Amino acid sequence: MSSEPEQLRSPSVWSVLFRHPAFLGAVIGILAAFSQALLISAGGPEAYGFCVACHTRDLVNGMTNIVTHTNLALAAISKNAILPVMSVVGVLIGGYLAARQYREHKIRKGTIREYAIYFVAGILVLNLAMIFGGCPYRAALRTGYGDLNAIAFIVAMAAGVILGAFLMLKRAEKEDG
Amino acid sequence: MATGILPTEAAVIAVPIVTLLLGLLIGYLAQRSGYCSIGGFRDYFLFRHTRLLSGYLTLIAASFTGYLLFWFFTPAAMEHFFWALSSGPAYPMPGAPGGLNAAAYLIFAIIPGFLVGFIAVLLGGCPIRQTVMASEGNYKAAWFFVGMCVGSILFAAIVSGWVVSLMRALGFGV
Repeated sequence: MSSEPEQLRSPSVWSVLFRHPAFLGAVIGILAAFSQALLISAGGPEAYGFCVACHTRDLVNGMTNIVTHTNLALAAISKNAILPVMSVVGVLIGGYLAARQYREHKIRKGTIREYAIYFVAGILVLNLAMIFGGCPYRAALRTGYGDLNAIAFIVAMAAGVILGAFLMLKRAEKEDG
Repeated sequence: MATGILPTEAAVIAVPIVTLLLGLLIGYLAQRSGYCSIGGFRDYFLFRHTRLLSGYLTLIAASFTGYLLFWFFTPAAMEHFFWALSSGPAYPMPGAPGGLNAAAYLIFAIIPGFLVGFIAVLLGGCPIRQTVMASEGNYKAAWFFVGMCVGSILFAAIVSGWVVSLMRALGFGV
């Protein structure tokens, strides 16, 4: 970690808070509610303040609709607005700026096989998330909004993670022994 | 029709701007904290680390607090807050393919939830972590993002229709 010595020198409350996931969780939760309060007149659905999968879908399909005059499905808020929701573009730029600022930007290449796996996994994850109607983040927002299906999603997701992590553990143990 | 703070004419212009700013802030902080929902459950299960998990649990708590707060100030924008009470416990929130009964939406929550968790943990991150890693220069994560973009068009063009027909054929139509 490049910023580790800095933290040892001056571990101010702000710098610790700033780097803590719980702080970001609070920021997303409050701002997602704020953005709904601000923008809901443009269209639904509710509890749609932040979602990586849905907002990617809206961005890609909205832009495709504008450029090629097709009629791909997207959320009402993106359909009614002059441009679709841009939060994923923001995440990409914000992540890039932070990585640049703290010298953590580094090209990491993989093999063609890995690229193919990640590409197919991207298609799968997006489609599965859209069948539910949201990625893990919108599931959290929906839970906060009082949707019981979203709680089922989170519990099922935790079960999937535990199975996957268990398989990874088994494989690592096999490689060690 | 729900009405927010901004009137419709202003809101349609504000949508891309506000979401872009929101995304910038989230992307910046996510890069600093290594925020990941899947990673939270994984780290807790494997190492009993609660750092990332606290981020996800705080998100749930903060979104409830945020919606509650703005529900007091702008009740018209939070028309169906306390969804399960205001819309019925089994009525699904819009987002998934429409025209099916409540049982179908519970299945849509459980099976995709399980598979998303399983696939994402094998890849080493949830969608936001992959997006942030792509912006850090990770080519594998960038291909994941490209896959999500292609997947959005596939979902709207083909998969959504398949899923609805399949569920109707299985007797989950309304």
